[in-house]
Amino acid sequence: MNFLNKIIFFYYREYKLNMSGVQDILTNIIFFFISIFIFIFSIGPDKETISIIGVGILWTLLLLSSTLSLRKFYQDDFENGNLLIIHLNGFSFGFIAILKTFSHFVFVQVPFLLSIPIACILLNIANDKLFYLFASFGIGSLILSCLGSISSSMNLMNQRNFLLGSVVVMIFSVPVIIFSVGIINMQESFNSLINILFGILLIVFAINPWASGLCLKLSLENN
Amino acid sequence: MLIVKDLSIERLDKKIFENINLSLSAGNITILKGKNGSGKTTLIKAILNLLEPSFGSIYWKGKLLKKNLYDFYNHVTYIGDTTSSLRKLTIRDNVNIWKKFFISKINEAQIETALKTLKLDNYLDKKVGTLSFGETKKLEFLRLIIENKNVWILDEPLSNLDEDSIELMKQTFEDHCSKEGSIIFSSHQNPGIYVTEEIQL
Repeated sequence: MNFLNKIIFFYYREYKLNMSGVQDILTNIIFFFISIFIFIFSIGPDKETISIIGVGILWTLLLLSSTLSLRKFYQDDFENGNLLIIHLNGFSFGFIAILKTFSHFVFVQVPFLLSIPIACILLNIANDKLFYLFASFGIGSLILSCLGSISSSMNLMNQRNFLLGSVVVMIFSVPVIIFSVGIINMQESFNSLINILFGILLIVFAINPWASGLCLKLSLENN
Repeated sequence: MLIVKDLSIERLDKKIFENINLSLSAGNITILKGKNGSGKTTLIKAILNLLEPSFGSIYWKGKLLKKNLYDFYNHVTYIGDTTSSLRKLTIRDNVNIWKKFFISKINEAQIETALKTLKLDNYLDKKVGTLSFGETKKLEFLRLIIENKNVWILDEPLSNLDEDSIELMKQTFEDHCSKEGSIIFSSHQNPGIYVTEEIQL
């Protein structure tokens, strides 16, 4: 029971922390929408063209925007010693990685999920694609959070080059983009593609606590 | 309770320290003394099981620390050389988070008394980021009271503290030891705190 309470209050702490830095979340959303406008202005007013490439633009921007927040994933808690204190409070490093991944999903990815309908209007994406977009982004964003956890824990050991972590996320998110965009453009293959996406989620979800936990331990060891 | 036996640590083929022996029982205070870079923080990390010793072993309640790790963590409060309070939040928010996260049984009156003693009671709604370094450090000590555990491991707790605060720390240490608590702390020098064991690194 105590352990469950600790998990609940870990998220209370994350909530307070994210709400005190709500401007960071808003900045990400603003970056996302400004980038959409830039794409629209650079492509021109042709509705058909925007509609065809809209889903691809949306996914690329979602990826870039969520990469922006990676720096904050573990960095603050690592620098102020909270990572160690959370560990000493009975959470293994692997479990901290799982908790942090869900926290990133809720406080960073879900706001994007909620802003998708507005983005669809701007990109002239048909309403009937909205369900597929939500389904693919729901799973895809959790995959991105897992990848983000791995790359930002790796970044703690490599303080000099933050971009390296972002590159790792970008490379490994290529299959996510392929299948997510595929789900929306080939709705007849929805079941098989969503299963593949779900399979990728299970793989990264299994690797994440092991890889991130090890990186967190090593970075604290070498700090 | 805690026994460190013949502990040696090497990092990148460099010997940090060797053959360190330490025994911490209830009511004891151990000081880790040494110059900058002598390995005080490294020893603390090894005790917290963050570093693998090159040689030697650490025991907690008669069992190897690794096999009894989470029981050890249940009894330990660690304060490092960084400030773990969240800078964007107020003192009140930080205290509430700690109280909940550490499932603290300390009541409001005890926390209020501690805040008054630390002279932080007037800044409850101030963000931690606006406090001075000394005040932030004192807030960190509040965690010792909130966590209410019996082994305190403190890395350089006396640095950046004024004379009054050091005096307060001395009293807090004595109070803790009189309640069967024990303390390991590192410092360059000992400003008159009674210690039962001194480890020179």
